Amino acid sequence: MSRIADVLIPESVANAARHGDARALEAVYLATSAPLYTLLRRLVRRPAIAEELLQETFVDVLEHIGAFEGRCPLPAWIRSIAINRALMYLRSPWHRSLEWLDADPGRLEELRSASPVAARSSEPALDRALMRLPALTRAVVWLHDVEGYTHAEIGTALGRTPSYSKTQLARAHARLRDLLTDAGTLKGGAACTPT
Amino acid sequence: MHADLNEWSARLAALPEFEPPVDGWQAVNAARRRREAGESRRWPIALAAAVLAAVAGLAWQLQSTQRVLVATDSPVAAVFADDSVRAQNAKLEAMLAALPEARVMRGSTAFTVSQLEDRLAFVDDRLSRITLEPNAPEHAERLWRERVELMNSLVQVRYADVASPL
Repeated sequence: MSRIADVLIPESVANAARHGDARALEAVYLATSAPLYTLLRRLVRRPAIAEELLQETFVDVLEHIGAFEGRCPLPAWIRSIAINRALMYLRSPWHRSLEWLDADPGRLEELRSASPVAARSSEPALDRALMRLPALTRAVVWLHDVEGYTHAEIGTALGRTPSYSKTQLARAHARLRDLLTDAGTLKGGAACTPT
Repeated sequence: MHADLNEWSARLAALPEFEPPVDGWQAVNAARRRREAGESRRWPIALAAAVLAAVAGLAWQLQSTQRVLVATDSPVAAVFADDSVRAQNAKLEAMLAALPEARVMRGSTAFTVSQLEDRLAFVDDRLSRITLEPNAPEHAERLWRERVELMNSLVQVRYADVASPL
């Protein structure tokens, strides 16, 4: 899986995009949409919401690309917009009102099976365990472990302290271990406990 | 510890990628047109809502005999000591959540609450996009202050409503 920050966009394309060139903007979308959508799916669970957030992110990009000053790579700038959008959604009353639906394991399975990704996963148990974490905890895990955010950056993004991020991460890892152990026991196979 | 963290990172990063929606770029352009069309309609409404909220808030302040009681006795006054704007906001959110659910509300109170909530939603939407704008930190600070003022008004209105007999 590629991370958004690993996507390389030629400087000429980034410059053209900054000046509103439609073909360059489309090229940026094509280069970043898959890792960006993956990030959003990991943060918000629901495919329809992730698709909407992806759209909104790129509408923001189209509207504000002129303000991009090139102090960081363009994909990283786009990623920060997407994460900001997703975190605003996770804190919203609308998301909280849907939480009870996602807490139902049957419903979770339904959401997961909406994508062929689960079938392609080399670690389906880890995939399932991750999606069982509470939304903000999962966000901390993904931002730290995959996107490479520091605890200070996560704390700022969530409006919390770096300690909150550290605590959430430690608890999340412990929870993932438990869930993976349970999955291994239930299937009668070896537990997938990380060392 | 680091080995553990690195292993989680490697395993999570190895999970497969989701495929973005087909025709996503067309959907983005359609969403942009919808937003532009919506904003051209929304600005006058937002402005009118802000004016109405201000007028309703002023009327409420003048009419309510609870106003003095709230200002001196409610916990709201304690919020504005040395806290940062975000900390003030978090405390006001907690206060609002702790207030009992509204029973039947006076019409004027319900109207004021509704206007304040609309304005809060508008500020939240602006905050969600603020990182994209030039001078983002200054704008964000101003929006957070506006949010705290709105939250303060909302808590006071709700507190007065809870404290007063119908």
